[in-house]
Amino acid sequence: MIFSELYSAYYNAVAKIISEILRGNTNEKELNRIVCETAFGESVLTVLPALKSGKWQLLYPNMTTPLKKAPTMPRTLLQKRWLKAISLDPRIQLFDICFEGLEDVEPLFTPADYVLYDRYSDGDPYNDEAYIAHFRIALRAVKNHQPLRIEMCNRKGNLVEMTVMPQALEYSEKDDKFRLLSTGCRYGGTVNLARMVTCEPQEANWYVPYKTPAPMQKCVTLCILDERNALERCMLHFAHFKKRAERVDKKHYLVRIWYDRDDETEMVIRVLSFGPLIEVTEPNSFRQLIIKRLQRQKGCELF
Amino acid sequence: MSSYNELIKNFERIRSYMREFYVYGFKSREEYNRKSVRSYDDERRRMESWLGDHMGFVQTADGKNMFISIDSRRTRHNPLYKALKAKSFTDGDITLHFILFDILSEPETVLSLPEILEKIDGYVSGFSEPMLFEESTVRKKLQEYIREGVLVGEKQGRKMLYHRSADAELPPLTDVLHFYSEVAPCGAIGSFLLDKEPPSDGVFTFKHHYITHAIDSDVLAVLFAAMQAKSAVTVSNLSRRKDEPSRERVVPLRIFISVQNGRQHLLCYQPSRNTMRSLRIDYLSNVKIEEPTPRFDELRAELDAMQPKMWGVTAQKNRYGEEHLESVEFTVKVGADEAHIAKRLEREKRVGQVEQLDDRTYKFSCTVYDTAEMLPWIRTFICRISSIHFSNPTVEARFKRDLEAMYRIYGVGEEAQ
Repeated sequence: MIFSELYSAYYNAVAKIISEILRGNTNEKELNRIVCETAFGESVLTVLPALKSGKWQLLYPNMTTPLKKAPTMPRTLLQKRWLKAISLDPRIQLFDICFEGLEDVEPLFTPADYVLYDRYSDGDPYNDEAYIAHFRIALRAVKNHQPLRIEMCNRKGNLVEMTVMPQALEYSEKDDKFRLLSTGCRYGGTVNLARMVTCEPQEANWYVPYKTPAPMQKCVTLCILDERNALERCMLHFAHFKKRAERVDKKHYLVRIWYDRDDETEMVIRVLSFGPLIEVTEPNSFRQLIIKRLQRQKGCELF
Repeated sequence: MSSYNELIKNFERIRSYMREFYVYGFKSREEYNRKSVRSYDDERRRMESWLGDHMGFVQTADGKNMFISIDSRRTRHNPLYKALKAKSFTDGDITLHFILFDILSEPETVLSLPEILEKIDGYVSGFSEPMLFEESTVRKKLQEYIREGVLVGEKQGRKMLYHRSADAELPPLTDVLHFYSEVAPCGAIGSFLLDKEPPSDGVFTFKHHYITHAIDSDVLAVLFAAMQAKSAVTVSNLSRRKDEPSRERVVPLRIFISVQNGRQHLLCYQPSRNTMRSLRIDYLSNVKIEEPTPRFDELRAELDAMQPKMWGVTAQKNRYGEEHLESVEFTVKVGADEAHIAKRLEREKRVGQVEQLDDRTYKFSCTVYDTAEMLPWIRTFICRISSIHFSNPTVEARFKRDLEAMYRIYGVGEEAQ
């Protein structure tokens, strides 16, 4: 259904090559660049040679084509059904898009067909008009590299003002929240969109006074005891991080995981959730964070 | 001996290799013994070609261990989608594809099969050895494209006429595609649409973003299509307790997606056992849609009623419809500056109630099918759990045993001895 040559990188590369040929560009170096950008690492060995040799009869040896128009293909039914499905998602109203023309298309899925059962319940208010307006301003600002003046409510409930240069909109599927990643303000690197009170674009020539450093990464080494399917659970649970794994013996595995320093507390509780099946071996500072929590728990005299 | 090709015909084999390389990444070449060593080399080479820098290796005493490592917070587009864009085709397929859409370049161009065949000949006649396309081959291709929705076939008398489908005039979708290709189910389809847009990185980045599901997209799409048609399916299910997959007939009811552990399950009804089951999507393959079932709405309503008693993906009813329910309650102590802990309980609980007992104490309680599923979440409150009680003594014993094991591992409580 999804795995079809209609969506293949080779078809896309050939469509782009023929468009270039019809535009009069027959420079092979440039055509091979298209292949590299559109297809895979070794595709240059196949795509243009197959066209030039007449294996695929779309290009004459003199680098002209029998095709008359730049190749296009209408959207497939599957693509239309997927678009119809996402048009039913509550977050779609953030984008100011009208899906006219898909009225007769059955969605591939509806919100009733799936559930994100462990997503936190205090997600962003996608129906709130002010929130939607802030999202759209932020989206435009990221695309246009335009500074934003923001008033936001901080964790303590105080109103703070800042001017920032937006870099990206980060979405967390677990939190169901958007955050504006920005630079230019010492305490405004990450701004939760739902905390914004006002958000206004500023003059594009604003001088960025403070360059937010890239998030510092830390590494933790875990020893997994493979009981109760812990190895698979752990590797899937931490799959979205950069990581390295190695086998120690039949039952023990070492996994090194790189995470952002700001997320250390979250990492601690994620490690705790595996109980005795994961032991932090390095660094000692992380191990101590676990030990401290266990000592406090022991003090609760639960059993 | 067949030569190496970057493209593949069947996705199932590469699916299992990608999963091994991405999720685990510590096996040596010799351990991939299900297929030949040559097969391993070919699959590894393909993945290197598709994924480039995301592939790495470590040299160990056992040999070279390949792995895929991707920090999805720093990657704006799921690189695993590339595998779904590597379907092989014949020389005739690709030639015919581009010629057909050049012939039928406008929805207004309406032609019969003989007219199309004549025009095809005109396209290939300039080559020294022109390809010959049989009438049946072209008809088959046209029928395939009608099924895909890119061509329309209309009967006029006894003749079938073909033309290109009219595409919906939609506004620019680039931002929508950048976002939903990463967060929506079957996001690979959004990635296919993005391939037609001018290249750009997009403005979105993603946190807590599981990308493994990309390789299960095809299975998921067929299951969704079955649910839309209210149909049963037959699936091959590879349980981790068995070597060979079993063939099972089930009524798919809902996909349960975890945003915390990277797993996706199909909640379904299995008529042969008269029970609800949850099947791991990554263990399923070869999904065949069967006939519609008149019980679909009734079964989904039953699942709706069960959901408030599910913490995870366990929905237990025996074959006589009797439910097995368990309860748990625990209290947590919260410091003066720890209001966020109470908030955590509220936002992270999926079912149940949170009650404030006094200034510093909160109680959580719930009744669910399987309290063992809650253990990982409860452990995240370690350091402040002041009381806990499970109705299932086995689960309570496990919680206690695990906590004691953690004390032992980290030497907690041994300081005073």
